[in-house]
Amino acid sequence: MTVIIHDLENTELQTIFPQIGKDTVLVSEKGSIKNCIGCFGCWIKTPGTCVLKDGYENMGWILSQAETVIIISKCYYGGYSPFVKNILDRSIPFLLPFFKIEKNETHHKQRYKNTFQLVVHFYGENITSQEMDIAHSLVKANAINLHATSCKVLFYQSFNQIA
Amino acid sequence: MKISIINGSPKLGKSTSELIVEYLTPLISKNNSIEVFNTNTTALNEGQLSGIICSDTIIFAFPLYVDSIPSNLLRLLIGLEKRQFPSQNIMVYCVVNNGFFEGKQNHIAVKQIKSWCAINHLIWGQGIGIGAGEMLPFLKDIPLGHGPNKNIGNAIKQLSFNILTRQGGEDLFISPNWPRFLWKVQSSLFVWYPRAKSNGLKKSRLFEQVQKNYLDNIKQLEQKGKKQ
Repeated sequence: MTVIIHDLENTELQTIFPQIGKDTVLVSEKGSIKNCIGCFGCWIKTPGTCVLKDGYENMGWILSQAETVIIISKCYYGGYSPFVKNILDRSIPFLLPFFKIEKNETHHKQRYKNTFQLVVHFYGENITSQEMDIAHSLVKANAINLHATSCKVLFYQSFNQIA
Repeated sequence: MKISIINGSPKLGKSTSELIVEYLTPLISKNNSIEVFNTNTTALNEGQLSGIICSDTIIFAFPLYVDSIPSNLLRLLIGLEKRQFPSQNIMVYCVVNNGFFEGKQNHIAVKQIKSWCAINHLIWGQGIGIGAGEMLPFLKDIPLGHGPNKNIGNAIKQLSFNILTRQGGEDLFISPNWPRFLWKVQSSLFVWYPRAKSNGLKKSRLFEQVQKNYLDNIKQLEQKGKKQ
Protein backbone atom coordinates (compact mmCIF):
# COMPACT_ATOMS: atom_id res chain seq x y z
CA MET A 1 0.00 0.00 0.00
CA THR A 2 1.14 3.56 -0.75
CA VAL A 3 0.22 6.36 1.63
CA ILE A 4 0.24 9.95 0.36
CA ILE A 5 0.19 12.62 3.05
CA HIS A 6 -0.22 16.03 1.43
CA ASP A 7 -1.33 19.62 1.92
CA LEU A 8 -2.68 20.24 -1.60
CA GLU A 9 -6.21 20.85 -2.79
CA ASN A 10 -7.68 17.68 -4.33
CA THR A 11 -7.66 19.29 -7.80
CA GLU A 12 -3.98 20.16 -7.38
CA LEU A 13 -3.18 16.59 -6.33
CA GLN A 14 -5.00 15.27 -9.40
CA THR A 15 -2.65 17.23 -11.67
CA ILE A 16 0.28 15.34 -10.15
CA PHE A 17 -1.42 11.96 -9.75
CA PRO A 18 -4.23 11.80 -12.35
CA GLN A 19 -4.93 8.18 -11.49
CA ILE A 20 -4.78 7.06 -7.92
CA GLY A 21 -4.84 3.31 -7.49
CA LYS A 22 -7.01 1.35 -5.08
CA ASP A 23 -3.95 0.45 -3.06
CA THR A 24 -3.22 4.12 -2.31
CA VAL A 25 -4.47 5.89 0.79
CA LEU A 26 -4.67 9.67 0.65
CA VAL A 27 -4.33 11.64 3.86
CA SER A 28 -5.77 15.02 2.97
CA GLU A 29 -6.89 18.11 4.83
CA LYS A 30 -10.59 18.03 5.71
CA GLY A 31 -10.50 21.07 7.96
CA SER A 32 -11.21 19.03 11.06
CA ILE A 33 -7.77 18.01 12.30
CA LYS A 34 -6.99 18.57 15.97
CA ASN A 35 -3.54 19.14 17.45
CA CYS A 36 -1.83 16.30 19.27
CA ILE A 37 -2.28 17.28 22.92
CA GLY A 38 0.65 15.25 24.25
CA CYS A 39 -1.62 13.11 26.44
CA PHE A 40 0.05 9.81 25.36
CA GLY A 41 -3.45 8.27 25.29
CA CYS A 42 -2.41 6.52 22.06
CA TRP A 43 0.18 4.63 24.14
CA ILE A 44 -1.43 4.16 27.55
CA LYS A 45 -5.20 4.38 27.07
CA THR A 46 -6.10 3.08 23.59
CA PRO A 47 -2.75 1.61 22.47
CA GLY A 48 -2.18 2.15 18.75
CA THR A 49 -5.04 4.60 18.22
CA CYS A 50 -5.22 8.32 18.99
CA VAL A 51 -7.90 9.31 21.50
CA LEU A 52 -8.93 12.39 19.45
CA LYS A 53 -11.76 11.27 17.19
CA ASP A 54 -11.60 13.64 14.23
CA GLY A 55 -11.01 11.26 11.33
CA TYR A 56 -7.22 11.22 11.82
CA GLU A 57 -7.03 8.86 14.79
CA ASN A 58 -5.85 5.84 12.78
CA MET A 59 -2.55 7.15 11.44
CA GLY A 60 -0.63 4.49 13.38
CA TRP A 61 -2.53 1.69 11.66
CA ILE A 62 -2.32 3.39 8.25
CA LEU A 63 1.48 3.61 8.49
CA SER A 64 1.58 -0.05 9.58
CA GLN A 65 0.12 -1.00 6.19
CA ALA A 66 2.41 1.18 4.06
CA GLU A 67 5.15 0.02 1.72
CA THR A 68 5.81 3.58 0.62
CA VAL A 69 4.93 6.83 2.35
CA ILE A 70 4.96 9.89 0.10
CA ILE A 71 4.79 13.30 1.73
CA ILE A 72 4.01 16.40 -0.32
CA SER A 73 4.41 19.55 1.71
CA LYS A 74 5.08 23.24 1.38
CA CYS A 75 8.41 23.88 3.07
CA TYR A 76 8.37 26.05 6.20
CA TYR A 77 11.63 26.73 8.03
CA GLY A 78 13.11 23.55 6.60
CA GLY A 79 10.17 21.47 7.77
CA TYR A 80 6.63 20.54 6.88
CA SER A 81 3.50 22.68 6.57
CA PRO A 82 1.22 22.79 9.64
CA PHE A 83 -1.27 20.20 8.30
CA VAL A 84 1.40 17.68 7.30
CA LYS A 85 3.22 18.23 10.61
CA ASN A 86 -0.07 17.78 12.44
CA ILE A 87 -0.49 14.38 10.73
CA LEU A 88 3.03 13.33 11.73
CA ASP A 89 2.45 14.53 15.31
CA ARG A 90 -0.66 12.31 15.36
CA SER A 91 1.28 9.31 13.98
CA ILE A 92 3.14 8.34 17.16
CA PRO A 93 0.72 5.43 17.91
CA PHE A 94 2.65 3.73 15.08
CA LEU A 95 5.41 3.35 17.66
CA LEU A 96 5.65 1.97 21.20
CA PRO A 97 6.34 4.23 24.18
CA PHE A 98 9.37 2.11 25.09
CA PHE A 99 12.90 3.01 24.09
CA LYS A 100 15.79 1.24 22.41
CA ILE A 101 19.31 2.49 21.89
CA GLU A 102 20.75 2.49 18.41
CA LYS A 103 24.00 4.13 17.32
CA ASN A 104 24.23 5.61 20.81
CA GLU A 105 20.85 7.40 20.50
CA THR A 106 17.50 6.53 22.05
CA HIS A 107 14.54 5.90 19.77
CA HIS A 108 11.06 4.43 20.25
CA LYS A 109 10.60 0.73 19.63
CA GLN A 110 8.40 -0.51 16.78
CA ARG A 111 4.78 -1.50 17.43
CA TYR A 112 4.55 -3.18 14.02
CA LYS A 113 7.09 -5.22 12.06
CA ASN A 114 6.19 -3.26 8.94
CA THR A 115 8.68 -0.79 7.48
CA PHE A 116 8.29 1.54 4.51
CA GLN A 117 10.20 3.81 2.15
CA LEU A 118 9.85 7.50 2.88
CA VAL A 119 9.80 9.99 0.01
CA VAL A 120 9.33 13.68 0.78
CA HIS A 121 8.55 16.32 -1.85
CA PHE A 122 9.02 19.84 -0.50
CA TYR A 123 7.74 22.72 -2.61
CA GLY A 124 8.03 26.48 -2.19
CA GLU A 125 9.18 29.50 -4.17
CA ASN A 126 12.08 30.61 -2.00
CA ILE A 127 13.46 27.58 -0.20
CA THR A 128 16.88 28.67 1.05
CA SER A 129 19.98 26.45 1.19
CA GLN A 130 19.74 26.65 5.00
CA GLU A 131 16.16 25.30 4.83
CA MET A 132 17.26 22.52 2.45
CA ASP A 133 19.94 21.44 4.93
CA ILE A 134 17.38 21.40 7.76
CA ALA A 135 14.92 19.46 5.57
CA HIS A 136 17.56 16.80 4.78
CA SER A 137 18.36 16.39 8.50
CA LEU A 138 14.67 16.30 9.41
CA VAL A 139 13.66 13.64 6.90
CA LYS A 140 16.67 11.52 7.86
CA ALA A 141 15.69 11.79 11.55
CA ASN A 142 12.05 10.99 10.70
CA ALA A 143 13.18 7.92 8.75
CA ILE A 144 15.22 6.68 11.71
CA ASN A 145 12.43 7.30 14.23
CA LEU A 146 9.69 5.82 12.02
CA HIS A 147 11.93 2.85 11.14
CA ALA A 148 11.79 3.58 7.40
CA THR A 149 13.99 1.41 5.20
CA SER A 150 15.10 4.39 3.08
CA CYS A 151 14.38 8.07 2.62
CA LYS A 152 14.54 10.57 -0.20
CA VAL A 153 14.06 14.37 -0.18
CA LEU A 154 13.25 16.43 -3.25
CA PHE A 155 12.67 20.18 -3.69
CA TYR A 156 10.54 22.08 -6.17
CA GLN A 157 9.65 25.71 -6.86
CA SER A 158 6.03 24.71 -7.32
CA PHE A 159 3.98 21.62 -6.49
CA ASN A 160 3.06 21.07 -10.17
CA GLN A 161 6.70 20.25 -10.93
CA ILE A 162 6.29 17.06 -8.90
CA ALA A 163 6.07 14.31 -11.49
CA MET B 1 12.97 45.40 28.30
CA LYS B 2 9.78 43.73 27.10
CA ILE B 3 10.14 39.96 26.99
CA SER B 4 7.57 37.62 25.46
CA ILE B 5 7.82 33.97 26.44
CA ILE B 6 5.87 31.60 24.23
CA ASN B 7 5.05 28.24 25.75
CA GLY B 8 4.66 26.12 22.63
CA SER B 9 3.49 22.98 24.37
CA PRO B 10 0.12 21.73 23.10
CA LYS B 11 -0.43 19.79 26.36
CA LEU B 12 -3.64 20.66 28.17
CA GLY B 13 -2.24 20.01 31.65
CA LYS B 14 1.08 20.81 33.25
CA SER B 15 3.94 20.48 30.79
CA THR B 16 7.74 20.29 30.93
CA SER B 17 7.86 23.50 28.86
CA GLU B 18 5.80 25.22 31.56
CA LEU B 19 8.29 24.02 34.18
CA ILE B 20 11.18 25.38 32.10
CA VAL B 21 9.36 28.74 31.85
CA GLU B 22 8.97 28.66 35.66
CA TYR B 23 12.72 28.03 36.03
CA LEU B 24 13.67 30.82 33.63
CA THR B 25 11.22 33.61 34.55
CA PRO B 26 12.57 34.58 38.00
CA LEU B 27 16.10 34.79 36.58
CA ILE B 28 15.18 37.38 33.95
CA SER B 29 12.30 39.28 35.56
CA LYS B 30 14.23 42.06 37.38
CA ASN B 31 13.55 45.43 35.66
CA ASN B 32 11.89 43.62 32.74
CA SER B 33 8.28 43.22 31.74
CA ILE B 34 7.53 39.57 31.04
CA GLU B 35 4.45 38.15 29.43
CA VAL B 36 3.91 34.42 28.96
CA PHE B 37 1.73 33.21 26.09
CA ASN B 38 0.28 29.71 26.09
CA THR B 39 -0.58 28.05 22.80
CA ASN B 40 -2.24 24.89 24.13
CA THR B 41 -5.93 25.75 23.95
CA THR B 42 -7.06 28.49 21.61
CA ALA B 43 -5.12 30.41 18.98
CA LEU B 44 -3.65 33.71 20.21
CA ASN B 45 -5.80 36.75 19.47
CA GLU B 46 -4.81 39.82 17.46
CA GLY B 47 -3.87 41.81 20.57
CA GLN B 48 -1.59 39.04 21.82
CA LEU B 49 0.10 38.65 18.43
CA SER B 50 0.67 42.42 18.24
CA GLY B 51 2.15 42.26 21.73
CA ILE B 52 4.62 39.56 20.70
CA ILE B 53 5.88 41.31 17.57
CA CYS B 54 6.47 44.51 19.59
CA SER B 55 8.77 42.73 22.09
CA ASP B 56 12.46 43.39 22.62
CA THR B 57 13.07 39.68 23.21
CA ILE B 58 11.12 36.56 22.26
CA ILE B 59 11.75 33.23 23.96
CA PHE B 60 10.21 29.99 22.73
CA ALA B 61 9.90 27.05 25.12
CA PHE B 62 8.43 23.94 23.51
CA PRO B 63 8.60 20.16 23.24
CA LEU B 64 10.08 18.31 20.29
CA TYR B 65 7.38 16.54 18.30
CA VAL B 66 8.50 14.04 15.65
CA ASP B 67 11.97 15.59 15.37
CA SER B 68 10.76 19.16 14.90
CA ILE B 69 8.45 22.01 15.98
CA PRO B 70 4.92 20.87 17.02
CA SER B 71 2.19 21.88 14.57
CA ASN B 72 0.44 24.30 16.96
CA LEU B 73 3.64 26.34 17.34
CA LEU B 74 4.36 26.11 13.63
CA ARG B 75 0.99 27.76 12.93
CA LEU B 76 1.87 30.55 15.36
CA LEU B 77 5.30 31.11 13.75
CA ILE B 78 3.68 31.44 10.33
CA GLY B 79 1.05 33.79 11.80
CA LEU B 80 3.74 36.01 13.32
CA GLU B 81 5.70 36.07 10.07
CA LYS B 82 2.60 37.26 8.18
CA ARG B 83 2.22 40.23 10.53
CA GLN B 84 5.74 41.53 9.86
CA PHE B 85 7.89 42.74 12.74
CA PRO B 86 8.03 46.53 13.26
CA SER B 87 11.65 46.30 14.42
CA GLN B 88 14.53 44.02 13.52
CA ASN B 89 16.22 44.65 16.85
CA ILE B 90 14.49 41.71 18.51
CA MET B 91 16.51 38.94 20.15
CA VAL B 92 15.21 35.38 19.78
CA TYR B 93 16.03 32.45 22.07
CA CYS B 94 14.56 28.97 22.39
CA VAL B 95 14.51 26.06 24.83
CA VAL B 96 13.42 22.73 23.36
CA ASN B 97 12.86 19.58 25.39
CA ASN B 98 12.42 16.09 24.03
CA GLY B 99 11.36 12.67 25.25
CA PHE B 100 14.58 10.97 24.21
CA PHE B 101 17.54 11.02 26.56
CA GLU B 102 19.86 13.00 24.33
CA GLY B 103 19.34 16.75 24.20
CA LYS B 104 21.21 16.83 20.89
CA GLN B 105 18.16 15.29 19.19
CA ASN B 106 16.59 18.78 19.50
CA HIS B 107 19.09 20.30 17.08
CA ILE B 108 16.73 20.31 14.09
CA ALA B 109 13.99 22.23 15.96
CA VAL B 110 16.58 24.79 17.12
CA LYS B 111 17.70 25.23 13.50
CA GLN B 112 14.07 25.70 12.45
CA ILE B 113 13.66 28.56 14.94
CA LYS B 114 16.95 29.99 13.64
CA SER B 115 15.56 29.78 10.11
CA TRP B 116 12.34 31.57 11.20
CA CYS B 117 14.53 34.20 12.82
CA ALA B 118 16.57 34.71 9.61
CA ILE B 119 13.44 34.92 7.43
CA ASN B 120 12.06 37.63 9.72
CA HIS B 121 15.44 39.43 9.94
CA LEU B 122 15.51 39.11 13.73
CA ILE B 123 18.63 38.56 15.84
CA TRP B 124 19.37 34.98 16.83
CA GLY B 125 20.37 34.60 20.47
CA GLN B 126 20.77 31.02 21.63
CA GLY B 127 19.12 27.63 21.56
CA ILE B 128 19.05 25.08 24.38
CA GLY B 129 18.10 21.45 23.77
CA ILE B 130 17.16 19.43 26.85
CA GLY B 131 16.93 15.64 26.78
CA ALA B 132 14.70 13.40 28.93
CA GLY B 133 12.13 16.18 29.26
CA GLU B 134 9.52 13.85 30.77
CA MET B 135 11.90 13.29 33.67
CA LEU B 136 12.15 16.98 34.66
CA PRO B 137 8.81 17.18 36.56
CA PHE B 138 10.03 14.26 38.72
CA LEU B 139 13.12 16.32 39.63
CA LYS B 140 11.41 19.63 40.30
CA ASP B 141 12.15 19.52 44.04
CA ILE B 142 15.89 19.26 43.39
CA PRO B 143 17.45 22.74 43.04
CA LEU B 144 18.75 23.69 39.61
CA GLY B 145 22.48 23.17 39.27
CA HIS B 146 22.49 20.22 41.69
CA GLY B 147 22.48 16.43 41.24
CA PRO B 148 20.53 15.35 38.14
CA ASN B 149 19.58 19.02 37.55
CA LYS B 150 23.21 20.13 37.29
CA ASN B 151 23.38 20.43 33.50
CA ILE B 152 19.97 22.01 33.09
CA GLY B 153 20.76 24.49 35.89
CA ASN B 154 23.98 25.54 34.19
CA ALA B 155 22.28 25.88 30.81
CA ILE B 156 19.38 27.97 32.19
CA LYS B 157 21.85 30.18 34.06
CA GLN B 158 23.88 30.79 30.92
CA LEU B 159 20.75 31.42 28.87
CA SER B 160 19.34 33.89 31.40
CA PHE B 161 22.67 35.81 31.43
CA ASN B 162 22.61 36.06 27.63
CA ILE B 163 18.96 37.18 27.66
CA LEU B 164 19.65 39.90 30.25
CA THR B 165 22.73 41.17 28.40
CA ARG B 166 21.11 40.77 24.94
CA GLN B 167 23.97 38.56 23.82
CA GLY B 168 24.13 35.54 21.61
CA GLY B 169 25.59 32.26 22.80
CA GLU B 170 26.57 28.84 21.55
CA ASP B 171 23.65 26.42 21.29
CA LEU B 172 23.73 23.93 24.16
CA PHE B 173 22.41 20.37 24.06
CA ILE B 174 22.24 18.64 27.41
CA SER B 175 20.92 15.52 29.12
CA PRO B 176 20.20 15.06 32.84
CA ASN B 177 23.10 14.04 35.09
CA TRP B 178 21.69 10.57 35.36
CA PRO B 179 22.68 7.20 33.86
CA ARG B 180 20.88 6.59 30.59
CA PHE B 181 20.28 2.88 31.23
CA LEU B 182 18.56 3.75 34.51
CA TRP B 183 16.42 6.43 32.86
CA LYS B 184 15.40 3.88 30.19
CA VAL B 185 14.32 1.29 32.77
CA GLN B 186 12.63 3.91 34.96
CA SER B 187 10.61 5.30 32.04
CA SER B 188 8.93 1.89 31.65
CA LEU B 189 8.60 1.06 35.35
CA PHE B 190 7.61 4.45 36.71
CA VAL B 191 5.92 6.13 33.74
CA TRP B 192 4.38 3.91 31.07
CA TYR B 193 3.30 0.85 33.10
CA PRO B 194 1.76 2.83 36.02
CA ARG B 195 -0.03 5.19 33.61
CA ALA B 196 -1.44 2.25 31.68
CA LYS B 197 -2.49 0.58 34.94
CA SER B 198 -4.32 3.73 36.02
CA ASN B 199 -6.31 3.36 32.78
CA GLY B 200 -7.14 -0.24 33.64
CA LEU B 201 -4.70 -1.73 31.10
CA LYS B 202 -2.39 -4.67 31.65
CA LYS B 203 1.25 -4.34 30.56
CA SER B 204 0.73 -6.64 27.58
CA ARG B 205 -1.95 -4.37 26.13
CA LEU B 206 0.59 -1.58 25.57
CA PHE B 207 2.14 -3.72 22.82
CA GLU B 208 -1.15 -4.34 21.00
CA GLN B 209 -1.37 -3.92 17.25
CA VAL B 210 -4.52 -2.47 15.76
CA GLN B 211 -6.30 -5.05 13.59
CA LYS B 212 -8.07 -4.10 10.38
CA ASN B 213 -11.36 -5.71 11.41
CA TYR B 214 -11.32 -3.50 14.49
CA LEU B 215 -11.24 -0.46 12.20
CA ASP B 216 -14.01 -1.95 10.01
CA ASN B 217 -16.17 -2.35 13.12
CA ILE B 218 -15.55 1.29 14.05
CA LYS B 219 -16.51 2.39 10.51
CA GLN B 220 -19.70 0.27 10.63
CA LEU B 221 -20.61 1.81 13.98
CA GLU B 222 -19.96 5.30 12.57
CA GLN B 223 -22.19 4.56 9.55
CA LYS B 224 -24.92 3.17 11.81
CA GLY B 225 -24.70 6.33 13.91
CA LYS B 226 -25.07 8.52 10.81
CA LYS B 227 -28.16 6.57 9.64
CA GLN B 228 -29.78 6.97 13.02
